[in-house]
Amino acid sequence: MHPTLLIGLDGATFTILDPLMEDGTMPFLREFVHGGSRAKLMSTPNPLTPPAWITLETGRTPGNHGVFDFIWAEERKSDHYFTLHNFRDIQCETIWSIVSRQNGHVCSLNYPMMAPPPPVAGCIVPGLVSWKHLRRNMHPKGLYDKFKALPGFNARELAWDFDLEKKAETGIPEEEYEHWVEYHIRREQLWFEITCYILKNEPWNLVSILFDGPDKISHMGYRFLDPAVFPKNPTNWEVKIRQLCLEFFRKLDGFMEEIVKIAGPETRVFMASDHGFGPSREVFRVNSWLHSKGYLTWKDLSQLESDKKKTAQRVIDRHFVLLDWKKTTAYARSATSNGIYIRVIGDSCLTGVKPENYESFRDQLITELQDVRDPETGMPIIKDILKKEEAFPGKNNKQAPDLTLVMRDHSFISIMDKKPILYKRPYVEGTHYPAGIFLAKGPGIRQGKIAPRMSIKDVTPCLMYSLGLDIPSDFEGKVPAEIFSENYFSSNPYKIGKETMPVGSGEQLPQAVPLTTDEEKEIYEQFKALGYVE
Amino acid sequence: MEENENFETAGREDILAGIIEVVEDLTQDWDLEFEGAINAETGLVGDLDFESIDIVEFVVAIEQYFKKRGLPFEELLMEEGRYVDEIKIKDTVDFLFKHLHG
Repeated sequence: MHPTLLIGLDGATFTILDPLMEDGTMPFLREFVHGGSRAKLMSTPNPLTPPAWITLETGRTPGNHGVFDFIWAEERKSDHYFTLHNFRDIQCETIWSIVSRQNGHVCSLNYPMMAPPPPVAGCIVPGLVSWKHLRRNMHPKGLYDKFKALPGFNARELAWDFDLEKKAETGIPEEEYEHWVEYHIRREQLWFEITCYILKNEPWNLVSILFDGPDKISHMGYRFLDPAVFPKNPTNWEVKIRQLCLEFFRKLDGFMEEIVKIAGPETRVFMASDHGFGPSREVFRVNSWLHSKGYLTWKDLSQLESDKKKTAQRVIDRHFVLLDWKKTTAYARSATSNGIYIRVIGDSCLTGVKPENYESFRDQLITELQDVRDPETGMPIIKDILKKEEAFPGKNNKQAPDLTLVMRDHSFISIMDKKPILYKRPYVEGTHYPAGIFLAKGPGIRQGKIAPRMSIKDVTPCLMYSLGLDIPSDFEGKVPAEIFSENYFSSNPYKIGKETMPVGSGEQLPQAVPLTTDEEKEIYEQFKALGYVE
Repeated sequence: MEENENFETAGREDILAGIIEVVEDLTQDWDLEFEGAINAETGLVGDLDFESIDIVEFVVAIEQYFKKRGLPFEELLMEEGRYVDEIKIKDTVDFLFKHLHG
């Protein structure tokens, strides 16, 4: 197999990277782009980390791999259960397994939902896992102890830091922005060192490291990073924070340079992001709007005993919906899904819309949503409304929202009971945009090529082609021929091979584990820190 | 009883041993103040400082070890519609004994 390296850059966008390449902040990346090919990489219909990275890892769209959000949820008669997604929820085979069963060695570093890790030939170090569970969620056994022996290894910083995210609950104070950026520089350094160790000490054919710092820095610091948004007359503090953000990208550039150097000149190197980034200026409070239209009723807390009322209010304040289910026909369950769920009467749902009225109900909802306008300008605020079967076709789309909203500035929705329904932010924040990045360099790759837009589902067949393996016939993307030299591509035609293997538990949806209020809080705090919720 | 064996006929002692193995594996890096051996009376929250995210990992680890997915863990974690404050190892033994044999 041809050695192949994938560097994942969570949330990376050319809007930010191009100026950083031009101004000398990222000289390695600039050289990489000049010596290789680039393309915009379009994300999944809802450009969000779990569905997008899982699409890249499986070559399948969310309607088939079954992941649409960070959380998995289910209505059970009169209550609502949810839990965090994990690897067992992915309904399609990942590239790590596909390559592994063809006698390749793979290393997957810091990818979300890779815990509990699959038993591949190679290494899995999952992302989005607490340090307390990192050891048991690494594959193979003993890998953690190898890392622990490395100078400077710090599991608490490498993993997701719940305590630090808790501090961000009420927004990061100005004096902590510096600490926040430095923390992410240190984290990227740790992942960099692990990647170097893997490249030097473990057998590999396909190595992939996901640097998630670009996403975290962009959520917090988009207004400091995008030249189009950065103030023309910045304060000293704004200049300082911008410099810190640039320092993050400067360091990242150095880490990538070293990784590519260690991988060697024969290695074909790809870079990809799960989504892009852009400015967000407003928030649509969709549940408040649904309430105003009579589709949703908030739970009446006035009749509750004092202590229960306090508990209930805390749940509401922490963003998770607390509804009167008997009087609710449509609701949004998470900000990150950007979706509306319609409650259809059935086995697990005792009240709601009758099945025979579902289509007409949904069409009416779409018509009304299309008419939601900015009260200041009269302009529609929703750019597109995607039906479940259109946005997420496939046999595993049960968890997908009935309607996915694409806001005019790609903002995440709010699900809270707050007014006004359209909230204007006091300053620009970063949010996920559909166009991410794709870069390639190495043997057989065209130099200086700007390729047409690609889809994130094209990356998986591209990696398989680079490795010299057949493309599974059920992959939904295509090999991007444009990025390869004509000579290489014609002398190395790709082959379509057998379908991927079914996953062991593919027929079974995950067991709902109700989260405690503490856990709800933790998840909420993470989302809040990342700007997913108000 | 070794991992990878069939637990559908496992007795309480085998289940207890399995749970203790899982919990010891989960907590080995936690720098806990808890002293002594984990046993049936050990409380996940009171003795081992489990937080809610640890319970989620515990559920996954138990299902992996005992090779059974989709166990109705809400029966263990909730009581009369409310979340329990403590889960003893022995509670988990009872729960698994009931459902592994089901």
